[in-house]
Amino acid sequence: MSGNAAIVGGGLTEWGEREATWKDLAQEAGKATFDDVDGIDRSDVEGLFVGAVQPERFAFQSHVAPLVAELLGIDAEMISRTELACASGQAALRYAWLAIAAGQIDVALVIGVEKMNLGKEYMPEMQSTMTNVLDREFDGVNGLNGPSHFAQFAQRHMHEHGTTREQLAMVSAKNKTHAAATDFAQYRDAVDVDDVLESYPIAPPLNLLDCSGITDGAAGVLLVSEEKAREVTDTPAYITGSGQSCLSSNSINNLPSMTTWPQAREASEKAYDQAGIEDPLAEIDVAEVHDCFSISEVIEYEQLGFAAEGEGGAFIEEGRSELDGDVAVNPRGGLLGCGHPLGATGVCQALEIHRQFTGDVPAERAVAGDPETGLIHNLSGSGSVHSVMTLGRDPQ
Amino acid sequence: MTRDDRSNDGSSNDGSSSDDPPRETVSIPNEVELPRLLDFYDLQDAEHTGIHEFYGNLRDGELTTTRCDDCGAVHFPPRIVCPECLSDDLSYTSLPHEGTLHSFTEVRGTAAIGMTDDTPFVAGVVDLGDVRLSARIDDASYEDLEIGDPVRLKIVDIDGPTDQDRVFYRFVPV
Ligand SMILES: [Zn+2]
Repeated sequence: MSGNAAIVGGGLTEWGEREATWKDLAQEAGKATFDDVDGIDRSDVEGLFVGAVQPERFAFQSHVAPLVAELLGIDAEMISRTELACASGQAALRYAWLAIAAGQIDVALVIGVEKMNLGKEYMPEMQSTMTNVLDREFDGVNGLNGPSHFAQFAQRHMHEHGTTREQLAMVSAKNKTHAAATDFAQYRDAVDVDDVLESYPIAPPLNLLDCSGITDGAAGVLLVSEEKAREVTDTPAYITGSGQSCLSSNSINNLPSMTTWPQAREASEKAYDQAGIEDPLAEIDVAEVHDCFSISEVIEYEQLGFAAEGEGGAFIEEGRSELDGDVAVNPRGGLLGCGHPLGATGVCQALEIHRQFTGDVPAERAVAGDPETGLIHNLSGSGSVHSVMTLGRDPQ
Repeated sequence: MTRDDRSNDGSSNDGSSSDDPPRETVSIPNEVELPRLLDFYDLQDAEHTGIHEFYGNLRDGELTTTRCDDCGAVHFPPRIVCPECLSDDLSYTSLPHEGTLHSFTEVRGTAAIGMTDDTPFVAGVVDLGDVRLSARIDDASYEDLEIGDPVRLKIVDIDGPTDQDRVFYRFVPV
């Protein structure tokens, strides 16, 4: 038993405002995943890990892991749903990795599913659901949810570090332009900096185009042991490191800061250490980071070790996160371009790294050179928990 | 074949074939009464929450929080167990009623259920020294404010779907 685990393929639904139920989305992504991988059958699957954040409220359905097993015809001996707000998909992947590394199973289906759109007239209900991932009694009650929480990080980062409104817009323009070449993305119109600056200031200083979407979608990957991976593909994406951090903090008072995420730093340092990465900027070729809002990506450059603290704005302005930059960040278009079906996002990020390794991406958004090392990052809720995973072409 | 096709296919003179399944309309309520969950404010009395003293103090005009009698840690939100030492020997201590604005935004298009009628409103983070809390900032709009502005406590009485006299804190510019 090698202990290593690799992604050998996966599949997706179309993301956006879908005329589809939660169960429809799970079936579409499941079928697409198995259709993508030759040599692995549903009968090979021993573990099923489902990332799903709020099916209880968005789709009035709980206990969703056995529902997926039934829909896809899987007899699983290890089965669970993970809920870690916006990082649920990566959490599902992490537990599947741990199960394989521990030698308990060889083949896992990791699938993330979220049905979020209830119709525009029910937007306040949708926003309530997002509000409740914060401490509802003391933060949600004050009007905080996605945009109004992260806007205050932007306000503070601009105040402390001189980050500009234009620099935030550059993040959105970059990612949304990448998404124009992503066939499943929710937003496929290329966007420039002026478009972002002129969009509605929905939670100032953040504008509408600084925000990711409300998205129906699902994504799946097959994660298998090294032995199995060698049987079925020449281009696996091995998980080489995985870290998480939560500093006993969730509500505003207990977050370490409103300009930094030391949890992201801790999680990434743990993953880098496992992967033997000493200089992340030099060694990581492609990064899928959690750009739920434009400001998030700026802070992530700093906390993941790509830029010094306070210099995330300059990092985007100097083009260092472009496809041909020091590290290609969010080539599929990120959450800003693809949308953010909560439980599916982390799974989709990992699939994107695999596709960048195999070259199965359109030329317009292919990472320059042959990327060898990838990273995925997710934050959850108030930014209380950060999760980082590194992937490579070779086992660790 | 649709049901209309079937009734017109000539197989039955009265329009209903004997092997049609029985059919009737059943009614479900036009409205359902949900538990009081969606107005965001907790029930604040001793029957419902271990931190009722926090709400009672606020009702009496004072913003307080818990302080651990064993290790001295000051918590916010208030607790019934100290997260630093797990002591349940906690006392309520006063927080300052004036502080400074640490950050802020304005909620415009993304308000939750029960808050949409209030938009636009300012949501901020207020620095009170030992404690930094989120709060709505009344009597101000986004354009009026700057980080570091002094703000002071305001108490709102919640008129809503319970018999309880519920209260909450907000802040206003000094
Ligand atoms: Zn204590």
